[in-house]
Amino acid sequence: MKKIIIVRYCEIHLKGKNRSYFERLLKENIERNLSAIKHSFSVINARYIIGDFADNDYDLIVSKLGKICGIHSFSPAFIVKSDLNEIEKCCLEFTKDRSGSFKVNTNRADKTFQLTSVEVSRELGGRILDSNPNLFVNVTEPSFVVNVDMRESGDSLVYTDVINGLSGLPSGSSGRGILMLSGGIDSPVAGFMLAKRGMKLDALHFHSYPYTSELAREKVETLAKKVAEYTNGINLYIVKVTHIQEEIHEKCPEELMITLLRRFMMRIAEKIAIKTGAQAIITGESLGQVASQTIESMTSSNSVVSMPVLRPVVAFDKLQIIEIAQKIDTYETSILPYEDCCTVFLPKFPAIKPKMETILKAEARLDVEKLIEEALCSLEVLKF
Amino acid sequence: MSNVIYLDNPSTTKVDEQILQTSINEINEVFYNPSSLYRGGRNAKKIVENAREHILKFFNNRKLLFTSCGTEADNTAIFSYAKRGNVVTTLGEHAAVYKSFELLKQKGIEVRFVKIKEGGFIDEEDFISKIDDKTTFVSVIHVNNETGAINDINKLAKIAKNVNKKLVFHSDGVQAFGKIKVDLASEVDLYSISAHKICGLKGVGALIYNKNLTIQPYIIGGGQENGLRSGTENVLGISVFGKACEKYLRKVEENLEEVKELKKIFLENLDNRFFKVISKENSSPYIISLSAYSQKGAVLQNMLDDEGVLIGTGSACSSKNPHSRVISSFISDKKILDGMIRIGFIYSTTIEDVKTAVEKLNSCGEKLFGKINL
Repeated sequence: MKKIIIVRYCEIHLKGKNRSYFERLLKENIERNLSAIKHSFSVINARYIIGDFADNDYDLIVSKLGKICGIHSFSPAFIVKSDLNEIEKCCLEFTKDRSGSFKVNTNRADKTFQLTSVEVSRELGGRILDSNPNLFVNVTEPSFVVNVDMRESGDSLVYTDVINGLSGLPSGSSGRGILMLSGGIDSPVAGFMLAKRGMKLDALHFHSYPYTSELAREKVETLAKKVAEYTNGINLYIVKVTHIQEEIHEKCPEELMITLLRRFMMRIAEKIAIKTGAQAIITGESLGQVASQTIESMTSSNSVVSMPVLRPVVAFDKLQIIEIAQKIDTYETSILPYEDCCTVFLPKFPAIKPKMETILKAEARLDVEKLIEEALCSLEVLKF
Repeated sequence: MSNVIYLDNPSTTKVDEQILQTSINEINEVFYNPSSLYRGGRNAKKIVENAREHILKFFNNRKLLFTSCGTEADNTAIFSYAKRGNVVTTLGEHAAVYKSFELLKQKGIEVRFVKIKEGGFIDEEDFISKIDDKTTFVSVIHVNNETGAINDINKLAKIAKNVNKKLVFHSDGVQAFGKIKVDLASEVDLYSISAHKICGLKGVGALIYNKNLTIQPYIIGGGQENGLRSGTENVLGISVFGKACEKYLRKVEENLEEVKELKKIFLENLDNRFFKVISKENSSPYIISLSAYSQKGAVLQNMLDDEGVLIGTGSACSSKNPHSRVISSFISDKKILDGMIRIGFIYSTTIEDVKTAVEKLNSCGEKLFGKINL
């Protein structure tokens, strides 16, 4: 009787001829995530089996599997010879501390076994009942199911619980994107959502030191680390935009500060994206949430890049975003109060519906290319 | 970072290396538990007792309880004696006292906060009006940690005890001890001090108390410190504390004169177009509080950090609670509060340090105001 974990994947079966590509990618991702833990890895009937791990590594493995995109579900299980007494021992391991209704569900691929699947279920159900007086059988609506999977190879898998994975697609299967990571609640969520659809992420953070605090930057590093758990690692690019802000402040109307700065950020993001091979820019903008997130502002910032700008939370309410942030454990970090410590550059009344003509006129006062080049000189890369 | 000019001394000071080395050598040899009864243990105990003696030399007829920090000393004093009737403190207290009083309030004890005036000094009239015959405990900070305002605690203790001679008077002396002359009147019952503000190590503080008082222990265990605070003594920290007192307390007045000169030079050279000084002339010269009106203190702190000058800010970079509680209790102009910074000197600060620092401060001010406002 050996303890194992059965891992099931999803959507990949929809992928037709590309299926083996997706399977290989997911396998590699799992292997990479578990590389520091002693274990074995095998494939059985379109499912992965993780075995030969130390008992005290079990929780760690489960927590890592829970963060790998493309896994539909997984189950702690036992693998034994297809012998009723052996299978019974496994069943009892799962049922000894439980109470309520159950049923046994047998799947017999091994047709040489002398009992039919219904007979196996009945026999095992009886033995389980005898062992634990707190249990009773309900085949229509059981509170839990003991699954017995008798394989052609002559061994059986026994499991009860099915733990949901993240679902989605394996990281790296849907191209590469650059996530604008501000330190707020929304951007890590936006990154997570696209990571879940298989996009490999880089992150980009803008700071205005000394007008913003170093603590804000450390907070973004922490967030990047947290998002990296879902994306097989992340490269965090950091760019200083202090001089750009100073120039806008000096030469352009106050209310356009954010609009113009966003345009600079987009251009810088695209330049970095081209270098890293990313095909899209990802932002955490949510329609109407703040002045810089109106459709006019989005139009203004979109118009300076040719790359698609993906905004996965654009139609989400704040509470929905917070819910996901809590689930992926970025919320507590995001609400640390270090963002935008400096309000010197924040206009009292930012332009909510900036007109393109006004924007272009203001921007013409700046040497855009030179400022971008200069900002890119400050580029730092951190790998998580 | 060898050329850093460190002017955030009210927050902590650099450890006196010579003293530290002497103490380390001592502790290397006598590493024993002071509670052990063999000779080595007794020698370790002697180190602790010598330090106690050194520190008590600067107080008349008192006892001393070693704690882990100034905060613990404050907490021990407050929770030993502030239990019934009404209790009085000021709006200018360090969080160690202020938050403790807030807790007392939650526990249902009547807490009275005395107003402070410009510069952070206690409002004596308000103080008198808050004390009555039901007052059991009073705590007034000696030197305000943000502005350097010096409160005449001897006078205040006398006033309070005239109204109710049974009340217990405590003062947080963390920024006073070792900086200004501390000559406690017998009416001051309890006094908190801390080692790392006078070039000692972090992790040691002490509560000085009148001999007739009984302190209520709240760390229970092996009965160290006469049963008043259990836990094996921090022998190294205590040893350094004792030696630092011996070295610096002797010269407290001499040092004070020198630091007054530093303050004078600082203020003479400060560009008043950019900075408004909040600390008053009769404050402790070790602390100067000033504001870059309408700018952010944290931004200046960052700019000076890049220039190799380390200063403190009155306001943390927090959007939830951006202003100093103490300063905002006597200043309401948000633009002043935004720009608060704090400069703090120590014995080793030189005239050159101050001149360079103020020059850099001025140029940062010029840069900041030039870019943003003009």
